[in-house]
Amino acid sequence: MSGDPVGNDILLSVRDLRTAFDTMDGTVKAVDGVSFAIRRGETLGVVGESGCGKSVTALSILRLIERPGRIVGGSVDFGGRDLLAMSESEIRDVRGNRIAMIFQEPMTSLNPVYTCGRQIAETVQAHRSVSRAEAWEKAVEMLDLVGIPDAGRRAKQFPHQMSGGMRQRVMIAMALSTDPDLLIADEPTTALDVTIQAQIFELIARLREERRMAMLLITHDLGVIAEMADDVVVMYAGQVVEQGDVRSVMTDPHHPYTRGLLASIPRIGERRHRLEVIPGVVPNPLNLPAGCLFRRRCPYAMEICETPPHLTDLGGGRSSRCWLDAEGRAPEVTLPEAAHG
Amino acid sequence: MTSDSDQTIRERWVASPSPAGGGTTRAGDPASSVDEVDLTPVRTYWELVRMRFRRHRPAVISVFVLAILVIYAVIVPLTTGEGYKDPNIRKVWDPAEIVITFDPFTVEAFAPLGYDEIGQNVFVRLAKATQTSLVIGVAAVLIIAGIGSFIGAIAGFLGGRVDNLLMRLVDIVLSLPVLFIILMIVSFFGTGDVSVVIIAIGITGWTLAARLIRGEFLTLRETDFVMAARALGVHSRRIITRHMLPSALSPLIVASALGVADSVVAEAGLSFLGFGISPPEASLGNMLNNAQTYFIRAPILIVWPGLVLILIVLSVSFIGDGLRDALDPRQKIESGS
Repeated sequence: MSGDPVGNDILLSVRDLRTAFDTMDGTVKAVDGVSFAIRRGETLGVVGESGCGKSVTALSILRLIERPGRIVGGSVDFGGRDLLAMSESEIRDVRGNRIAMIFQEPMTSLNPVYTCGRQIAETVQAHRSVSRAEAWEKAVEMLDLVGIPDAGRRAKQFPHQMSGGMRQRVMIAMALSTDPDLLIADEPTTALDVTIQAQIFELIARLREERRMAMLLITHDLGVIAEMADDVVVMYAGQVVEQGDVRSVMTDPHHPYTRGLLASIPRIGERRHRLEVIPGVVPNPLNLPAGCLFRRRCPYAMEICETPPHLTDLGGGRSSRCWLDAEGRAPEVTLPEAAHG
Repeated sequence: MTSDSDQTIRERWVASPSPAGGGTTRAGDPASSVDEVDLTPVRTYWELVRMRFRRHRPAVISVFVLAILVIYAVIVPLTTGEGYKDPNIRKVWDPAEIVITFDPFTVEAFAPLGYDEIGQNVFVRLAKATQTSLVIGVAAVLIIAGIGSFIGAIAGFLGGRVDNLLMRLVDIVLSLPVLFIILMIVSFFGTGDVSVVIIAIGITGWTLAARLIRGEFLTLRETDFVMAARALGVHSRRIITRHMLPSALSPLIVASALGVADSVVAEAGLSFLGFGISPPEASLGNMLNNAQTYFIRAPILIVWPGLVLILIVLSVSFIGDGLRDALDPRQKIESGS
C-alpha cells in the first residue's frame, strides 16, 4: 500500500490492519486495511468523524479488542516485533510499559476504590522490579511532574475527590510513569472543558518534548491536530482516506472528505451565514456502498467512483484514496482557506 | 430497606455537614491555603469507613448486641466446660435461681433462666447453643463467599461460554430442594457432626453470592478503569482480585450477611428436624425442638433460643447493611462542598 514515510527511524508500523465485529446483523469491518507508521519522537494525529474506526485502531494496536470484536488481519510492527503475533504475557509487558494509553473519560478510567497514588504505583510495580515504597515515591514524583500541587497529599486521595482535569493529569502521570516509547491518546480531552483542554494539551506537548516520546493522538478536532501533530491520518468508515504531514494536508487537502472537514471549522473574523457541513452521515457499516465509501456524500462523485479507489501515493509521504488523485487530475475547485498558517 | 438507609445517611450528612472526626485538616490550615480551592480534609480510608459505619444506627446497635452474644457464647462455655450436658435430677423444672456463693459460676449457683426437663442449666446450655450456631453461621458463610465469589468472578470476567456453563450450574443447584440435599448429606456423612453440617450448608448456599458477584463483574468488566488497567499491562488475575473484587465488595457483603443469617436458620431447622446437632450437644435448633415437646409445661423454654436466633439473624443483617455502606469508597461522606 503506501510506502513507509521518509526517515527510517520507525517506531511503530501498522500494516493492513483489519478489525471486525460480529454482530447479529452481520460482520462490521470497523477497521479495514489501515496502514501507517510513526517515527520515534513523532506525533501522528488520527482524525475522523465518530464511528470511523479511530479508537478501534488504537485498541487493536494494543490488542485490547474484546468479543464480539476480533482482529482479522494485518501486522503491527513495534521495535521489530509484531504485536499481533506476541503471546499474551509478552503483549502485557508492552502495554503500559513501552506503549501507554490514555482514555477519553478521566472520570471513569480510574478505579474508584484505590487512591490515585496507589494506582500509579501499581503500574510502576507491574513493569519494574521496585519496592512498594519506591513505586509510591515514583507516583508522587509523577503527580508532581504533571502539575498537581501538593502531590504527596493528593496521592493519598481517591479519584472522586478530584476534578476531571486533575484525574486526566493522574491518568497521564500513570501512563508516563514507566517512560513509554509511545503514548496513545484517545481523545484525551473530550470530556473536559475548553480551558482545561488547553492545559492538558500543553502538558502532553511539554512532557512529550522532554521525553522524546512518540504519540498517536486520536481526535475529531482538526484544530488539535494542527496544534499537536507532525503527521496526520484521516480516516473514514474504517479506511485511511488521506495521510501526510500536517502542514501540507491542512493547506492543500486532496481528498474531498478532508476538504469537507476543513471547511466545516468555524473561523473567527470571517462572515459566514452558515457553517459548511458535509451532507449526509457516515454509511451504515453493515451496509457499505459499493465503490468509494464517501461517494454518496461527495460533491465530486463521478461514474468511476463506483469502483473502490485505492490509496494513491502523491509523493512526499502523502497519499489519498480518491479517483481524482489517481487519475492525476485535481479538479478546479475553490479550496477552503488554510486552516493553519 | 437498602435505599432507605442510604437516604437517611445522606440526609443526615446534609443536616450536619461537619462530622466530628479526629485528625482532619481544617479549612484555613496554613498547609492547604496556598493556591488551592479544594480544602477537602484528608482522611484515611479506614477513618472514612468508621465514620460512615457510625452513621448507621441499627448497625451500631447490632454490633453491641452481637458482641454481647459472642462474649456470652465464648465466656460461659469456657468457664463451665461440659456443664451444659450435666443433668441434675434434683433441679428438674426448677425456676430461675441465682445463688451467690464464693464461686458464682458453678452450674448450681448461677441459673437465671432456670432448669429444663432433665435438670440442665438453661443459661449454660443456651450459651453453648449460641456458640454452635455462630460457629456454623460463620464457617458456612466462608464457604459460601469463597465458592460464590470464585464462580461468580470467573463467570463474570470470562463471560461467553464459560459464563453460560457456570450459570447453568447455578440454576441446577438452585433448582434442587436445598433442605433435602442438606438432609441427605448430613444423614449420609454423620448426623450431629458440626463440620458436616457446615459443609452441607456451605455447598448448597453459594448460588446467590455467585449470581450477585457475576452480575457485578459483568458490569465492572465494561468499565473504563478495567480497560485502563488492561491497557497499562496489569495481569488478569490481578485485575480480578485487586480491581474488580473490591468494587464487588458490596454485593459480597450483602450476600455474606444473608448467608450467615440463612446458615444459622438452616442449622436450627436441621436440628429441629433432628438431623443436625443432636442432644446432649447443644444447638439453638435442638433446644427449640426440645422446648416444643414441653411447650405446655414450660413455654418459656421456647423463648430463649428463639430470641437468640432472632437477635443473631437481625444483628448480622444490620451489620452487613452498615458495612456495605461504609466500605464503599464511592459513597461520599462530604456534603458537596
